[in-house]
Amino acid sequence: MNDSMSIPHLIMNASLVVQLVLLLLLAASIASWVVIFQRSFALARARKTQKAFDERFWSGVDLNELYRDVPENYEAQGSEHVFRAGFREFNRLMPKTRSSEAVLDGVQRSQRVALSREEDRLNANLTLLATVASASPYIGLFGTVWGIMGSFQSLSMAQQATLSTVAPWIAEALVATAMGLFAAIPAVIFYNRLSAIASRLLGEYEDFAEEFHSILHRNLQGRGSNQAS
Amino acid sequence: MATKGNRMAKRNRRVGYGLPVVLAIVVHVAALLLTMLRLPESEPTPSSSSVVQATLVSDVTATDQAQYAKEARARAAQRQAEEAAQQAAEQQSQEEAQQAAEQQAQEQAQQQEAERQAAAEQAEAESERRQQAAKEAAAARAEAEEQQKAAESQRQAEAKKQQVAAEKRKAEEAEKKAEAEKQKAAAAEKQRQAEAEKKKAEAEKQKAAEAEKQRQAEAEKKKAEAEKRKAAEAEKKKAEAEKQKKAEAEKKRKAEEAEKKRQAEAAAKKAAADALSDSISNEQERIANAEQSDQASNSFINLVKRAVEDRWHLPANADGGLVAQVRVRLGPSGELLAASVTRSSGNPSFDRSATQAVEAAAPFRELQQLDAGLQRRFRDFNLKFTPGDVQ
Repeated sequence: MNDSMSIPHLIMNASLVVQLVLLLLLAASIASWVVIFQRSFALARARKTQKAFDERFWSGVDLNELYRDVPENYEAQGSEHVFRAGFREFNRLMPKTRSSEAVLDGVQRSQRVALSREEDRLNANLTLLATVASASPYIGLFGTVWGIMGSFQSLSMAQQATLSTVAPWIAEALVATAMGLFAAIPAVIFYNRLSAIASRLLGEYEDFAEEFHSILHRNLQGRGSNQAS
Repeated sequence: MATKGNRMAKRNRRVGYGLPVVLAIVVHVAALLLTMLRLPESEPTPSSSSVVQATLVSDVTATDQAQYAKEARARAAQRQAEEAAQQAAEQQSQEEAQQAAEQQAQEQAQQQEAERQAAAEQAEAESERRQQAAKEAAAARAEAEEQQKAAESQRQAEAKKQQVAAEKRKAEEAEKKAEAEKQKAAAAEKQRQAEAEKKKAEAEKQKAAEAEKQRQAEAEKKKAEAEKRKAAEAEKKKAEAEKQKKAEAEKKRKAEEAEKKRQAEAAAKKAAADALSDSISNEQERIANAEQSDQASNSFINLVKRAVEDRWHLPANADGGLVAQVRVRLGPSGELLAASVTRSSGNPSFDRSATQAVEAAAPFRELQQLDAGLQRRFRDFNLKFTPGDVQ
């Protein structure tokens, strides 16, 4: 690997199309890494808050107190969001209707909305990773094919086609494929990992929603039996 | 509880993009550095599979270098502009035409003188109008053409001031040619004058004294008038064009002579400057053609190596450590002039096998496809024979 075959040197000497492809792939790679880091942090934080809320919720605290004890401009996330949406709906419906069925339906609906929002939040930007993972190898391949086309065109003008005349061109063209794979491989790995984490978190939210729903149901049943008795 | 809520609120704030962007860029910079980083262990000395290693010898003799410099200069001139060659050809032809014109003019002048000296000749000129008219018509045509050409040459000469070096060489060549052609022309003139005089003498004899006297009288009057007006009209009319031509040609000649003188005066300086400019032009050319020549030389060396490898039959008793160096000298068309062992391996049969391989692989016709300078470089090179892994 002499100086003329080093990767920066090859990139500098590549044709314009190949250079554009490389630039595009570099941008895709940087974007995918930004998403990877951002999502990793966000999901790690979401898991932490989920765990903290879980502990607090099951510590036997009064639900009204839990609901009321929030600072200003507080935007709940995760299962707390689900809890607050459901409890708010429960509190609003309770004075208005005697039917526990209607109350539970309303709570369930608002919890579904909150869950769907949480899902959106968890999966935000993961589609970009999927796109980079699937498209960048093809983009890199395009750059390689283009570069090899150019190399053969210029080869037709050379008198003798020895390996040393072909090698720089091919190496230069192959840099594009390497770049495509460089962008795609982390994107694939982290897309799988991050989407697994997100779906697990979402599963936990759904479990919590069901548990909370059953708690409310139990309360309503108790109230209904109290009223009946 | 409230403090806990506040802490949670802080923690629950959305994750920003600032840190991820920084980290992503760090990742890419690190990857780039990794590609540029060279692990010293990762580069074992490449055990080349090629058995024959060719090395160029740079021991070109001084005369060779001078010749090479000349060739390089010629090539530089050729490459400087293809027009230059065309213009050179044109110029040469024009100069030849000018010289021819000068000859004709001289002939005419001499004829005029002869006419002046012998009035009969003027009469003959009238009587022999067919000959002279034809000549003069041709001369007039030639003059017109030469005027145009002269004008063109002047323009080209002006344009060629940029190509001074080429010009000088061409001028020198032209001088040589001019000298040669002047000699030829002098001989031709003498012959022509002799022939013309013979013809005139014959004509004089034939046309007798009667006509001669009358015509002499007429011619003498005309001659007198012509001689009176000679400086003013007759000479001017005929000479004007010639003068123009001559002036241009003589300017050139004078310039050339002046150059000659200058060159003669500053011969040593000139030689030094020539050598300098040669070396400079060589350098520039080498730089300009470095890539191409590198490629070409690479391919040529590879070709030679492969051809020699294919025809090399290792002797049975050859060890792995033997190294023989064979100096190969090629003719201009790639034929083998000499293949001599410059560094013996100590094993005579091994040395012989190496020279035989070179002899069997010759001739290397691909040498003709190389540039002149490269050809010179590859006329003499060393081939190093190492058995390597071939048993």
